[in-house]
Amino acid sequence: MPDIKDIGILLAEAESAISVANSPDDLEAISIKYLGRKGQITAVLRSLKEVPIDQRKELGAATNKARVKLENELKEAAEKFGKGEKIANFDPTLPGVSHRIGAIHPITKVLKQVNQSFERMGFEIAKGPEIESDYYNFEGLNFPPDHPARDMQDTFYVEGDMLLRTHTSPVQVRTLKNSKPPVKIIAPGKNFRNEAISSRAYYTFYQIEGFLVDEGVSMADLKGVLNAFCRDFFGEGLKLRYRPSFFPFTEPSAEVDITCFLCGSKGCRLCKHTGWLEILGCGMIDPNVLENAGYDSEKYTGFAFGMGIERVTMLKYMIDDIRLFYNNDIRFIRQFI
Amino acid sequence: MKAPYSWIKELVDISISPEELADRLSLCGAEADAKPFLEGNFENVVIGLVVELEPIEDSDHLRKAIVDDGSEKFQVVCGAPNVSKGQKIILAKIGAELKGGFKIKQAKLRGVESFGMICSETELGISDDHSGIMVLDENAPLGENPIEYLKLIDTILHLDLTPNRPDLLSLIGVARDVSCLFDKKIIRPQYEVKESSDAADKFIKVSIDDADACPRYAARVIKNIKIGPSPWWIKRKLLLSGVRPISNIVDITNLVMLEMGHPLHAFDYDLLGSKEIVVRRALDKEKFTTLDNKEHELTPDVLLITNGVKAVAAAGVMGGLNSEVKATTSTVLLEAAYFNPVTVRRSKNIIGINSESSHRFERGADPNIVCQVLDRAASLMAEYAGGEILSGIVDCYPNKIEPAKLTLRPERVNALMGTNISKERMIKILEGIEFGVKDKGALEVMVPTFTADVTREVDLIEEIIRIEGFDSVPDSIHNSGPLFTPRHADDNFYDSSRNIMTSLGFDEMYSPGMADAKLLSKVSGDNPQLKVLNPIADDLTVMQNNLFYSLLKAVSHNISHRNVNLQLFDMGRIYLPGNPPYEEEKIGLTITGKVDDHWYNKGRTFDFYDLKGAIDAFLRLSHISPIDYVATRHFSLDESCSFELQLNNNIIGYAGLIKSKIAKHFDIKQNVFAAMLDFKLLLENIQQEATFKSLPRFPAAPRDLAVIVDESVEVGSLMDEIKQSGGPLLEKVELFDLFTGKQVGDGKKSMAFSMIYRSAEKSLESDEVSKVHKKIADNLNKKFKAQIREA
Repeated sequence: MPDIKDIGILLAEAESAISVANSPDDLEAISIKYLGRKGQITAVLRSLKEVPIDQRKELGAATNKARVKLENELKEAAEKFGKGEKIANFDPTLPGVSHRIGAIHPITKVLKQVNQSFERMGFEIAKGPEIESDYYNFEGLNFPPDHPARDMQDTFYVEGDMLLRTHTSPVQVRTLKNSKPPVKIIAPGKNFRNEAISSRAYYTFYQIEGFLVDEGVSMADLKGVLNAFCRDFFGEGLKLRYRPSFFPFTEPSAEVDITCFLCGSKGCRLCKHTGWLEILGCGMIDPNVLENAGYDSEKYTGFAFGMGIERVTMLKYMIDDIRLFYNNDIRFIRQFI
Repeated sequence: MKAPYSWIKELVDISISPEELADRLSLCGAEADAKPFLEGNFENVVIGLVVELEPIEDSDHLRKAIVDDGSEKFQVVCGAPNVSKGQKIILAKIGAELKGGFKIKQAKLRGVESFGMICSETELGISDDHSGIMVLDENAPLGENPIEYLKLIDTILHLDLTPNRPDLLSLIGVARDVSCLFDKKIIRPQYEVKESSDAADKFIKVSIDDADACPRYAARVIKNIKIGPSPWWIKRKLLLSGVRPISNIVDITNLVMLEMGHPLHAFDYDLLGSKEIVVRRALDKEKFTTLDNKEHELTPDVLLITNGVKAVAAAGVMGGLNSEVKATTSTVLLEAAYFNPVTVRRSKNIIGINSESSHRFERGADPNIVCQVLDRAASLMAEYAGGEILSGIVDCYPNKIEPAKLTLRPERVNALMGTNISKERMIKILEGIEFGVKDKGALEVMVPTFTADVTREVDLIEEIIRIEGFDSVPDSIHNSGPLFTPRHADDNFYDSSRNIMTSLGFDEMYSPGMADAKLLSKVSGDNPQLKVLNPIADDLTVMQNNLFYSLLKAVSHNISHRNVNLQLFDMGRIYLPGNPPYEEEKIGLTITGKVDDHWYNKGRTFDFYDLKGAIDAFLRLSHISPIDYVATRHFSLDESCSFELQLNNNIIGYAGLIKSKIAKHFDIKQNVFAAMLDFKLLLENIQQEATFKSLPRFPAAPRDLAVIVDESVEVGSLMDEIKQSGGPLLEKVELFDLFTGKQVGDGKKSMAFSMIYRSAEKSLESDEVSKVHKKIADNLNKKFKAQIREA
């Protein structure tokens, strides 16, 4: 015979079960156990007719009250699960199931950003071989044999009368030969120079070459493009400075400095207290280069530029040793996820 | 090139600071950095007089000196061999801070107290000469600052010159640009040549065998000279320019070279041993000793100055030991010549000497300045070495090199630069740098022979814009080229490959490209290697012919730094010999170590299936068909786990376990799984994106099938059979369980497959499905002796 005390116990049991429930399924089980067709509270209600009439009313009322209370509590708990709230024994600070994420090499990261910047300006990506002939690496670019300009680039020679390209400019000659103007290209790629390895120099490096050849291309167009790129890549508000320089394949030639972004051109260690950071070389394509590629240099003019990727990567991420790029230490690479 | 600020100021009357001047020069084509000549605190450095000098007991070289600075006397211990009583010297007193932060403190040497130091040029930073102390002239005022007295407070402009600017390899050249920038005249040094009645051509005859290599050779003869030290003003200019003073004759040739840019050479006339100079090419294997006392074996590429028989100088590179000016020299043959830049470059490469002279000649000297430099040097020799200048210059100049005449169209300047510079301004600039200009509508420009690099209109445009400055070029795009440019499939594949590999958990590495020949052959055996002819190091003599090499290098580096769990990929190239040598783009992958323990999943060691799963996922995401893993022998891979990756009958790469003995060469003891895929072949096999398929209209009927087979039976062949037997109704089959153990029996394994059956035309009846399912089971039993396990 059910007693009014049993109702209290059943209710307490059910409430305690709700408090440790971990999922909607747990709640469902509780609901079935107490309120289902064969549930314990349901059973009490069904057995009321066997209860002496004097107790029946009181017990009936208490049981119904317990049923309603339990129903409400189950509903409330279910809502909490719905909102993802913590119910019990659930620790959201535990790490999630792990998915290993690989890191992109910082050079890739910067190359991608540089490529995208120029691609948005309508440059097409071209590539070329790293094993090159003297013609494409030097002669076609207006480096005469036995000219001191060749000392500017220490060259690795390989068997078969070939060399490892010292810059991405051979792509300029190759592309110009196989295209018709207008030609608007960027050529990212790997190069080699026979320079002593140190924290500032390595025997291989990446460069991005860019050029535009068409009728009526001027130095002003070059400045427009490079200024736009520098603002896009390094950020608004910096200033550029063009200094006359010399490259055999451009005339006139210039080197481009940007205001030091670390000190705001006040002078610091990064810019060697000059306030300026040298970032690229550029110029108007030398008529000899155009003629070598079969263009009428009187009709067509063009500009070209080249930028060392390691250098700008080092500047951007304040990396102090160029060798880190080629050691492939994951403690380095994984900083660039 | 070091240009002392005070020297520039002598030549052009400017008032801006050296730092501003350096900035201005940097913006017109001569990258300049202004640095003080001397660094240090010279407050406690004074001119002193050695009033007493006596030896110190127990020391063979130290002496005790008493130095008077005019108001006080100091006891100083000095070890210099040239110190003597009565000399005016430079005394660094206690508290002085000399070059490199060297502080003078009170000291005790051999029991003798020392209250300062008598300085050599080294301590003051004037030069690296520390053979003895500096001795000043008698008139030096005691107690005064010697640096001021010697006029050594100066700023040096360090010019980092590009090879096209030989015109800046002289002070007058620098002054020329400065004068143009600031619109001032150059004040050229004045000199007068007083010749004696004797004619030089009685003493020397010049003949040139190869006029292409030596277009001009001119000489003067100066008699009765007295070799001695140069006056301070010459020494000072040399010291400021970083050239060590030697003797009056040598110093004068150096001074004139620095001033006017043209190299000179002085021979001891009496040591020449003949009365003629013959300029000719060296004989093969001819021997010659340069004045630094090094013997060289020559080839005909080297041009020589000879006395008719033996060589006395390597033309434009260095003089010979046999005719060097010495303390005993009394007659000097002074040479000023013009040598072909290519000839000098080749000579210098064979001799292996980079001299101030070869540096200038190979960049291009001025053939038409030789008489002026001879006159300037001779007049100085007469004045400072007591010489008698014989009359006349012996000048062999068969084909005069005339200044080039170029046409400059002002509108072309503005079209190429996008500027708006007036014709008048262009004329002013060109005349400012001493080009001759005639305005004939277009400009007719006479290019002086001191600029070796101006041969075309565009070179003139460069001259104009570097003086006018790039700030005059507007920042505006008028021509942006084509409106549309394509993006190529390989660029997209590069990008997507990298994204996929990183999302699969691989870190990207960059292989540098060169390899150690021996170590490389451990990895790739007899595979041919492309040799680097001038390697940078003994362990970088060949190019990598294999990405397993670079992967192992990276794994090795990481393991040695305790990063033992690695997933790396390399989008690198391999380089192979051939005619011509060639390169191939590859994708390398490696997995080694283990998955770390995680509270949710237990950790475990990586195995081949991790690598295989990554490759398969990569291919799937790249829209490349699944590949077959066919067991093969591969030099780098362990026989138990070595596969050729086949795609449409092409071998697109290899994958497997690196042989442990190869890994050991890289100090790797753990299993390394690696794969190398061919980028180009993969790219060719990327499929077009699939078109839409209608969603199934009829329900699927899933069934499972568990079989027990011999352990040697491969899953792949069972799958193939299931697919074939299942026919069109079998939509999909997957292996969902695999185990061995007691319950299946020794040498057996149990596999469970889940199948989905579906028809495109109707709902399948249970009977129809059972029929196909049974057929599969029967065929497996027939072909593989598969025992069907009841569920």
